[in-house]
Amino acid sequence: MAIGEAILRQLQAVVGKEHVLTSELDRFGYSYDSSPTPLVPPHNPELVVRPRTTAEVSAVMKIAFEHGIAVTPRGAASGRTGGTIPLSGGIVLTLDRMTDILELDEKNMMVTCEAGVRTMDLYDHCAKFGLFYPPDPASWKYSLIGGNIAENAGGMRAVKYGVTSNYVMGLEVVLADGTILNTGGKSIKNVTGYNLTQLIVGSEGTLAIVTKAILRLIPLPVKRGVMQVFFPSLDDGCNAVHAMLQQNIIPSAAELIDDVSLAAVAKQRNLQLDPAVSACLILEIDGPDEAALEKQSSAIGNVVETHHAISFRVAQTKAETEELWAIRRGLSSAVAATAPNRLGEDISVPRDAFPEAVRRLKELSRRSGLQIAVFGHAGDGNLHPSVLCDLSDPGQEKLAHEVVGEIFAIALAVGGTLSGEHGIGITKKPYIIDALGEAGVNTLKAIKQALDPKGILNPGKIW
Amino acid sequence: MPVKSAEKLTAAQKLVSQCDRCGTCLTVCPLFGSKDIESSAARGKNSILRALASGGLEPTKDVKVALDFCLLCQRCVVNCPAKVQTDEAMILARQYLADNAGGASLKYRLVGGFMGSPLLVKLGAFGLSVMRKLGLNNLAPFGAAPDEYTRTHFMTAFAGPAALGQSKPVETVSVSQGSKVAYFKGCGMQILFPEAAKQSLEVLGRITKPVTRDNVCCGLPHLAHAMEGDFFKLAKENIRQFEDVDIVVSDCASCSGTLKHLAHYFEQDEAWRERAQAFSAKVMDLTEYLAKAGYVPRTQNNARITYHDPCHLVRGQGITKEPRALLAATGEFCEMKDADVCCGGAGSFFLDYPEISDRVIDKKRQNIEATGADIVVTGCPGCLIQLNKAAKASGKFKALHISQVV
Repeated sequence: MAIGEAILRQLQAVVGKEHVLTSELDRFGYSYDSSPTPLVPPHNPELVVRPRTTAEVSAVMKIAFEHGIAVTPRGAASGRTGGTIPLSGGIVLTLDRMTDILELDEKNMMVTCEAGVRTMDLYDHCAKFGLFYPPDPASWKYSLIGGNIAENAGGMRAVKYGVTSNYVMGLEVVLADGTILNTGGKSIKNVTGYNLTQLIVGSEGTLAIVTKAILRLIPLPVKRGVMQVFFPSLDDGCNAVHAMLQQNIIPSAAELIDDVSLAAVAKQRNLQLDPAVSACLILEIDGPDEAALEKQSSAIGNVVETHHAISFRVAQTKAETEELWAIRRGLSSAVAATAPNRLGEDISVPRDAFPEAVRRLKELSRRSGLQIAVFGHAGDGNLHPSVLCDLSDPGQEKLAHEVVGEIFAIALAVGGTLSGEHGIGITKKPYIIDALGEAGVNTLKAIKQALDPKGILNPGKIW
Repeated sequence: MPVKSAEKLTAAQKLVSQCDRCGTCLTVCPLFGSKDIESSAARGKNSILRALASGGLEPTKDVKVALDFCLLCQRCVVNCPAKVQTDEAMILARQYLADNAGGASLKYRLVGGFMGSPLLVKLGAFGLSVMRKLGLNNLAPFGAAPDEYTRTHFMTAFAGPAALGQSKPVETVSVSQGSKVAYFKGCGMQILFPEAAKQSLEVLGRITKPVTRDNVCCGLPHLAHAMEGDFFKLAKENIRQFEDVDIVVSDCASCSGTLKHLAHYFEQDEAWRERAQAFSAKVMDLTEYLAKAGYVPRTQNNARITYHDPCHLVRGQGITKEPRALLAATGEFCEMKDADVCCGGAGSFFLDYPEISDRVIDKKRQNIEATGADIVVTGCPGCLIQLNKAAKASGKFKALHISQVV
C-alpha cells in the first residue's frame, strides 16, 4: 500500500526526520544489494527508515503492522542473493546505525552487540582481549553482524571453526507486530522450549528483525601459518584435504582453486604457471605456538606428498603469507575480469562429493560452451562455481541462466544443497522446491505464517 | 581530444561495469564516514551512473548533486577488489551532465574562469597578501583565505643544531648536470601560499637553476567540474610552454598529478598525443625530484613533525616515501593514523559542503593531535587550507608546506 503523509509523519516522529529518506535518488540507493539482480527497473522502497535503537525498531514495526506495510531489513547490502532488495516497495529498515558493542564478558567468553556492528570491528574488539570470533565471510571487512546472522554467513575458517550459527547464543529480535523478543542466552546448555535462536539464524529477515546478539567466543589462536600446494588434478587436491581431516589434521582454511580460476589469477598477476598444474590448495593452520604449527605443517607435507603434490610451499615471511592470501582474496575479481559478467553461485555438497560435483560442472561447461570457474572451501564442501558470460547478449543471457539452473541440479544430484552461505533470497527461489520438496516448503510457510501472519517482513523471498 | 558527449556516459558506465556492489568502498570513503547514506560512497554513485545509462534514472538536479558530492580522492579505487575507477567515472559523468543539462554550474565557471587566467591569479595573490597584512583574510568564509605560517616562524620556533653552534647549512648534493629544471607555478600556491612557493624555489635553487614560465592553471578544477573545453586549452598551453625543459617540478600535488596524467587525455588526439606524452613524462612532484637529486634538508632541529598524504600524491602518483624521508632528515618524524585519508578539502569541495568538510578535517585534527606533533606538513595547497583550519581549531600544532620545512 502507498504510505501516506500521516504515516510518514509518524515514522519521522519515531526516528527523527533526517533518518527517513524520501527522495527518489535516496530511495534508489536502497533498492539493490550485491547480487546480480538487475538495477533497472529499480525496486525502490517507498521510504528508507533508519532507527538507532531497538525501541525505535519496535515502534516502526508497530506502525508497519497496523497498516500492513512491507518492511525489508537491511545491513550493508553486501548480500549475494537479493535478500535486502525491497521487492514489494514499502519500507527499507536499515540497522547500520545500531553500531554499539555492548559488553565483552571475558569470564563467559561472550560478546553482546547491536546488529549494525561490522564483523571486522567485532573481531578486532574481541582480539584485543585475546578472544576470537571465528566466522569470516569474504565480506567480513564491510558486512554487518546482523546480516551475517540473517544469512548464516560462513567463510573460509568454517572447516575448523564452523559458521555464524555455531556462535550465536542468543538474540534480541523485533517481531512483525513490534513485539521485542529475547531468545537463548548465556547458558551453554539450554533446552527450554523450541530453539528460536537457531530458527532465526539464516531466516533472511523473513521471521523477525535481529537487533542484538549474544555471540560465543573462543581463545584467539596465537600463531598462524599459510601454505600453498599445487596438484596435477583437482581430485588429488580434494583427496589430500579429506586425508588430512581423517588423520585429525584440521587446517583453519582449505581453499581449492581450479585451473580456470588459476589461469585468471595468472593473467591478472602476470604469472607463469607450470602447465602440469591443474589445481591449487591454499591452507591456513593455527595453534598456540610455533612448535604446534611446525608439527601440523610437516604432517600436511606428508599427506600432500602421498597425493601427488607438484609443489608444497610454506610461507616463511609475513610478506609471503600476504602474497598467498592475496591470490585467494583476489580470486573473485580476477575471475570476474575475464568476462563481462560473472554469475557466482554458492552450492554446498557433502565433502566427499566435491570432486564429483566439479567433474559434472566441467562437463556442463563443455556442453554449454560457457566457461565455469570453480573455487571453494574444500574442507567443508562449499563450492563457488562462476559462470562467465556476457549478459548483454540475449542468447547468452538465456543460456547462462539455464546453466545456473543446471548447477543447482548437479548440487542436488550429488546429495548437496543450493546454498552454503549466501542464502536463497530472490536469486535461488525457483529452485527451492527441488531442494526441500513440497513438504519442506510448506513447513517453512507454516512457520512464516505463525510469526508474520500479515506477511510484511521481507516479502517475496526464499520461496 | 574530448570524447563526444553521448560517449561520455557510455565510457563512464564501462569504467564502473566491474563494480559488483560488494560495499568495500563504504568503509574507506571519507564522505560516507561523515554522511552515511548510500549515495555518499562509490557503490551508490556507480549504481546511479549505471541506472542513468540504462534509463532507470533521469539526469535530474539530485543526480547532479550526488555526483558532485565526491572528493575524487581515489581511496575507494585503491581499496576496491576490482579497482573500479570511480573518480574517472565521476569526471566523465559530470561532463556528460553539464553537456546535457545546461552546462557547468555558474560557481564552477566563475572559479574556472578565474583560475584559467594568469592575470587574475596574480591579482588574486596580490589581493590576498594585502588582506593578510590587514588581517582581513579571516573574514573570508569557511577559511578559504587562510593564514600563512612561514618558514621564519618555523625556524624561530624550533631551535635545532643551528642553535647549538652549527650555523653552516648542511651540505647539499649537486644534481646531475645538464638537466634543465622548470618550476611550475600552481594557482593555489601562488594565491594562497606565496611564501611557501618562494621556499620551493629556494629549495630548488640549492641544487639546480630552476626556470619559471608564464604557465597557466593545470586544469584540474576545469576537469573536475565539467569544463573540459577549458581543460584542453590550458593543457595545450602548458605543453607548449615547457617543451624546451627536461624536468617540470611542481610543489602542488594536484598540479603534478594532473600534469602527469595529461597524456592520458590526449590518447585519441593524433596531433597532440606525442607532445602530451613527452610533457607528462617529465613532470615530477617536488619531493620526488628532491629525493632523486639527493637533496639534504637545509637544517635539522627538534620539531616533532607529522605528515598528511595529499590524495593526488599518495594515490594519484604513489608517492609516500620521499616526503617522509625528507621530514625524518629534518626533525623528529612521527606517523599519524589514517595519514592517507582525504582532508576534505578537495579543491572547492570545502566551499560547497562546509559542514561535511569540517567533519572530515576534524577527524584529521584528532589524528594529528594524537601524535603530539608540533607541525603537520603536506604538499598541496588545498590540503594546507584544511590543515590550517585544523591547526587553528587545535592550537597544539601548526600546518606547513614541505618546502618551508626541509
